[in-house]
Amino acid sequence: MKVPIAWLRECVDFDATPGALAEALTMSGMEVEGIVAEKRAPDGVVAARIVAVTPHPDADRLRLCRVDDGRGEVEVVCGADNAAPGVTAPLARPGASLADGTVVRESAIRGRASAGMLCAEDELGLSDDHSGIMILPDGVRPGTPLAEVLGPPDTVLEVEVTWNRPDCLSIMGVAREVGAIFRRPVRRPDVSFAEEGGPAAALAAVRVEDPAGCPRYTARVLTGVRVAPSPWWLRRRLLQCGVRPINNVVDVTNYVLLECGHPLHAFDRERLEGRAVVVRRGRPGEIMATIDGARRKVEGLLVIADAAGPVAVAGVMGGMKSEIRPATSAVLIESARFHPPAIRAASSALGLSTESSYRFERGVDGEGVDWASRRAAALMLRTAGGSAARGVIDLYAGPPAPRRVTCRFARVRSLLGMEVPADEIVDILSALGMGVAGRTAAACEVVAPGYRPDIELEADLIEEVARLHGLDRVPAPMPACRVAPGGPDEQEARALDGLRADLAALGLSEIMNYSFVSADLLKTVPAGDPATRVELPNPVNRDQSVLRDSLLPQMAATVGRNVSRQSCDLGLFEIGRTFARKADGTTAEKTRVALGLLGRPARIGMPGRGAATGEETFLELKGLIEGLCVCRRLGPLQVESVAFPALEDGWAVALRAAGAVIGMAGLLREDIAREWRLPGPAGLAELDVAALLAGAFDVPVCRPVPLYPAVARDIALVVDESVTHARVLEAIAAGAPKELTQACLFDTFRSEGIGKDKKSLAYSLVYRAMDRTLTDEDANAYHEAVKNVLRKKLNAQIREG
Amino acid sequence: MKDEAQAACAAAADLAALEQVRVRYLGRQGLLRDITPALKTAPAEQRAELGRLANALKTALAEALAARRAALAAGAAGASGPRFDCSLPGRWHRPGTLHPVSRVIADTAAIFRTMGFTVADGPDVETGYHNFEALNTPPHHPSLDATDTFWLASGELLRTQTSPVQIRVMESRRPPVRVITPGRCYRRDTTDATHSANFHQIEGLVVDRDVSLADLKGTLAHFAHLMMGPRVKVRFRPHFFPFTEPSVEYDFSCHVCGGGGCRVCKDSGWIEIAGAGMVDPRVFMKVGYDPEEFTGFAFGMGVERMAMIKYGITDIRTLYENDVRFLEQFR
Ligand SMILES: [Zn+2]
Repeated sequence: MKVPIAWLRECVDFDATPGALAEALTMSGMEVEGIVAEKRAPDGVVAARIVAVTPHPDADRLRLCRVDDGRGEVEVVCGADNAAPGVTAPLARPGASLADGTVVRESAIRGRASAGMLCAEDELGLSDDHSGIMILPDGVRPGTPLAEVLGPPDTVLEVEVTWNRPDCLSIMGVAREVGAIFRRPVRRPDVSFAEEGGPAAALAAVRVEDPAGCPRYTARVLTGVRVAPSPWWLRRRLLQCGVRPINNVVDVTNYVLLECGHPLHAFDRERLEGRAVVVRRGRPGEIMATIDGARRKVEGLLVIADAAGPVAVAGVMGGMKSEIRPATSAVLIESARFHPPAIRAASSALGLSTESSYRFERGVDGEGVDWASRRAAALMLRTAGGSAARGVIDLYAGPPAPRRVTCRFARVRSLLGMEVPADEIVDILSALGMGVAGRTAAACEVVAPGYRPDIELEADLIEEVARLHGLDRVPAPMPACRVAPGGPDEQEARALDGLRADLAALGLSEIMNYSFVSADLLKTVPAGDPATRVELPNPVNRDQSVLRDSLLPQMAATVGRNVSRQSCDLGLFEIGRTFARKADGTTAEKTRVALGLLGRPARIGMPGRGAATGEETFLELKGLIEGLCVCRRLGPLQVESVAFPALEDGWAVALRAAGAVIGMAGLLREDIAREWRLPGPAGLAELDVAALLAGAFDVPVCRPVPLYPAVARDIALVVDESVTHARVLEAIAAGAPKELTQACLFDTFRSEGIGKDKKSLAYSLVYRAMDRTLTDEDANAYHEAVKNVLRKKLNAQIREG
Repeated sequence: MKDEAQAACAAAADLAALEQVRVRYLGRQGLLRDITPALKTAPAEQRAELGRLANALKTALAEALAARRAALAAGAAGASGPRFDCSLPGRWHRPGTLHPVSRVIADTAAIFRTMGFTVADGPDVETGYHNFEALNTPPHHPSLDATDTFWLASGELLRTQTSPVQIRVMESRRPPVRVITPGRCYRRDTTDATHSANFHQIEGLVVDRDVSLADLKGTLAHFAHLMMGPRVKVRFRPHFFPFTEPSVEYDFSCHVCGGGGCRVCKDSGWIEIAGAGMVDPRVFMKVGYDPEEFTGFAFGMGVERMAMIKYGITDIRTLYENDVRFLEQFR
């Protein structure tokens, strides 16, 4: 909200500079986000009175104005319709520079010399109004510099008002805070005015059909008003606060809203059918045109209606039909209090938030209703003339019961951890407008003012004490390290940190993708289960419309995006939650880890050239997962070919360890890799974090290390291509004694010499006994047994020597 | 024997010859070993002196061997013919990096663990009760709006803060409570340099007897010193949150200018970190804690924001672009 300091000074005295005031407000809870000093009016611009206006002989739309600029009469050419004799307006003399930087010159316009330029507000940088020349108050002496007419430049504070303090959405509200901070009294403007003629009730009628939605409604009637542009002082205040001036009636309602925070509405009484309004709910099918020109469905919304239908959406926006126009002569000033939920419902149903709805939604003071109405009537009489009818129509059930809250001094001390003297506590609460209803040595009881709906409990009062006594005075002792029992989450968090550290140690860098994924990407890289997928009913955009049920598509896309940035050696992982709809409709979450591999990311020092082969990438990926299983104490990894839509056939495997399926891995489908111009095959894997952490809480149990030396024997066998490494290991295990501790593949070899569709595999076998030193004879016997099994089971040909 | 051995070292023409010298004197059956049994039989009064002499001899020999070895190696490097190029790149396995968001969470958790906190966790998909109602959010508060919050068709929502974890913790335990709750949150913000619809928060909660605003201030000041360095200052400003009373926002003094004012802190000298406050008694009543018996404080901070401040990241979006050239800087 914008707070012009000159306006603030009308309500409260203070000595602080704008900077010091901003600091004081910020430190008491109203954050000042900006301090904007107004610009001075341009030099060389003076007040000039128009003496005579004649048509330009050679241009239809231009006129010649003879003006008195204080030095004498000069002639200027002007195109504005409102340039009339007797009007005082700003004249930019030759040499003056305007807001947009142009310098005014003595010039000839269509053959007539112009000794300067009569200016509109936008040309002077005062507003964006270009509807005509700016009108200065009558009686300003010609020749007076504009800067002097407008007064010294003001400073405007931009403050952030928190949600619980709707009372501060006004100059007077901010003034109350300033008064409390500096302990100065706050002034309210005079609202007295003369009432003439008949009673208001004879000129208009009001009925409230929905008292819950409208606990108080008042109406005043002014007749004989003359609608015109507002005087500059009024326009200037609105402009300072970012409100566009309209006319001297509407501007007053906006001025009062800004001043005291109470929204008002002015109706053209002559355009209210039956000169009566009723506060009711919109009926089925009812539509009305609001002043912004939109036609709006108001069924079920709180509206103000006349005999013909709705004329305003209560507390949100007025209607076109009864809006104040130049011909308006009688005005009905509405000042009411609407129930916040009713306004909120209307505002969100219409998608329309206004200065008015913003305040009603947060709550206005029912006790301020009549004051605001009086203030508006008094100001309108001043700016638009006319006369006010006697009295006011006031439909009000009566004020709510006062809210009494007790504040125990000891509680202030224990909650703040700081001693605040009892007198100081009482003084602060009084300065905030709370009536002190009682006081003992231990506590005081206060009555919260109507404009402070946020004061309900003792803690609310203690907050007031804290912020006005000063949070910077609260000590900051070293924390007392008390221990409280933690839950299982703590163990899991530590285990997850361990998993992250393992993945990084294996050479993978962590990435983070959004929990939202685009439906398009899911089509390109299918993963997860469309049947249980959770879609967002209100996504920010199409690319973030689905809650991910697999980390793979985004991992693949991340690989692709990095390749497009010429990063082609990638080892990545992500740990994240995935989402799926359960049978009961609610959402299940599962934490997973995805791996992505491209090229040779981790190998430093002559990494090799050329794209990695599919075999290389697959085995690298598999090796990473095997390494992970070792780090996580899950025992050996087993793989089993599967089909998976996003992965290339023949290169996709399910992963098992410690007796459970822990995930799957493989190479990204070739057609996708080609489309994304990947330089080689991309390895992808997704694993279940719960399965990976299954062993995290086991404690390693120490076993004795072997005391006796081992005997190593190599073996080379020629087998059919179809015989896999896994089958060889199985066969070796079947034939070997318990003394076999290791069987390690160290070479594979193919040649014409060994035959077509054949391969040679070389293994190193290690035998060791725990209770004795093995002899050569022992080892030879074991080795022969293994050879025999290989010959028998795999039809292997053992290559000797 | 010393002179003889030293001469032999000097005469050794290459490393192999030098090794023979070493074996002859210091090897398992070397000449110096022969002395050892003699030492044992020597008269007690001479034994110490002999031992000392033998050790001095051993040391002198080892030095001579090392000197000659170095000389031979230098000679080899200067000689012609194919030699090993020790400037070739070393071979190693490059470790990966952790995401800056993970790093900040881990650093923060480590600091709070030293103050007796443990980590608590909760689901990303929450109930309206845990995310709003139990936290004393008025039913017409704008944060409940579909324009601010991702509501799901099931009636659940994506949590807008990690505060619902505090509720879950209090529902399941009696005081004392000391937890921090890192996690992912969601708000329907349009993504720009400082906003992301998907972000992380760390909140903290302490409930015990006699917990005060001063304790909150002390805890956060201590955290600030450990996270940002000993010179950082902490400032509290009053603010409003539905679930705390009094509520504050806290700022760290600007890490760039130290408080004098600069572009990063918009000349204020302070960087807004997040919100905190004393737990509102209305929240305690929701979870069945007696606000007369227990008081507590809660605080929260945006992880991305901390990461941006700590590592000088200027655009939050870079944290989710996953450009390895960015990520690999975080070693
Ligand atoms: Zn700074």
